[in-house]
Amino acid sequence: MSLRTVFEAIASQPSSVSIRESIYGYPTLLTSHVVAMCLFAGLIAMMDLRLAGLGNLGTPCSEMQKRLFPWQMFGVFLSFSTGLLLVYGDPMRFYGNFYFWLKNILLLLAFVNMVVFHVTTYTSVAVWDRDPVPPLGARVAGLFSLALWAAIIITGRMIAYSGLVPNWWVELKLT
Amino acid sequence: MSLLPFFQWMEALPMSHAIQSGSWYSPIIQVIHLVALAVFAGAIAIVDIRLLGRGLTTRPLAEVARDAQPWLVWGLVVLLITGIPQVTSLAMKQYYSPFFWWKMEGLVVATIFTFTLRKKVTLTDEARLGPVWGKVVGLVSITLWTGVTVGARLIGLLS
Repeated sequence: MSLRTVFEAIASQPSSVSIRESIYGYPTLLTSHVVAMCLFAGLIAMMDLRLAGLGNLGTPCSEMQKRLFPWQMFGVFLSFSTGLLLVYGDPMRFYGNFYFWLKNILLLLAFVNMVVFHVTTYTSVAVWDRDPVPPLGARVAGLFSLALWAAIIITGRMIAYSGLVPNWWVELKLT
Repeated sequence: MSLLPFFQWMEALPMSHAIQSGSWYSPIIQVIHLVALAVFAGAIAIVDIRLLGRGLTTRPLAEVARDAQPWLVWGLVVLLITGIPQVTSLAMKQYYSPFFWWKMEGLVVATIFTFTLRKKVTLTDEARLGPVWGKVVGLVSITLWTGVTVGARLIGLLS
C-alpha cells in the first residue's frame, strides 16, 4: 500500500469530508494552530535563548527546562492536534506539498536534537546550571533548536505557496 | 473623516506595486513576521505565566520581566517593520476587512496596556502587589494578545 493510497483513504472518510466541507472548520483549526504555535514555539525559543547564552540569563537552565515544561506540553498538544486535524481534513492538499514534507523532516530533526542534548550535555547541568554562558554542547543545541524551529514556522507558512517550489519537485508529479 | 483616501494612497505606493509584482516578496515578508511573532509571544507568555503565579516562580517577577523585555521590544519592532508592507500592498482588502480593524484596535490597546499598566505591575514589589492584581494583568495580557493574533490570521481566511 502506497502513501498515496493511505492519504486517499483518509480523504474519503466521512469525518475528513465533513471537516473539508465545513465553512468554519479550516479557519478555526488554522487560527488555533497559530495561537498554539505562539505558546509552544515562543516558550521553546525562550528556553533556547537561555541555552545559547543569549537571553533570560538570570534563570538557571534547569529551571527554564522544568518550569516551562508543562506549558510547552500544553502548546505541543494543541499544535499537534490542530495540525493533525488540518491534514486529516484535506490530506490530498498536503500529499504533494513540498513544504509539508520538508516541515515534517525538520520536526523530526528538532526532536532528535532535543533527545541528543538531553542524554549528553544536559546530564551535567548541575555543574553549569547558573553559568551565563553554558558549555559548547548546550549552546550548539540551543542555536540548532532556534534555527530548526524558525525553519519549521517558515516551511509551515510556505505550505500555502505550493507553486513556489524547486523544479525537481514539480517533476515528481505527485499531485 | 474617512480613512479611505489614506488606504487608496497606500495601495498606490510604488512599494505596494513592487511587493505585488514579485511572487516571492509577500511570502518572505510573511515568514519573517511569523518568526518574530513566535519570539514576541514567547517573551509575553513567559511573563504572563509568571504573573499568574506559575512558571518561573523561583525568580522575582521583576527579573523575569527585565530578562524578557529586549525580546519583547525587538520582536514587536520586527513585527511592525514586516507588518507595514503587508498592509500597504493589500490596503483595500485590509480596509474592507472587519478583522483588520479588530486586529488594529486590539493592537493599539494591547501595546498601550503592555507598556504602561503591565510594565508598572511587573516592576512592582510582589509583596505590595498582593495575590490578585498580577493574575488580573496576566489574564488581560493573554486575552488581548491572543485576540490580536486571532484577528490577524482571520484577515486572510474570512475576509
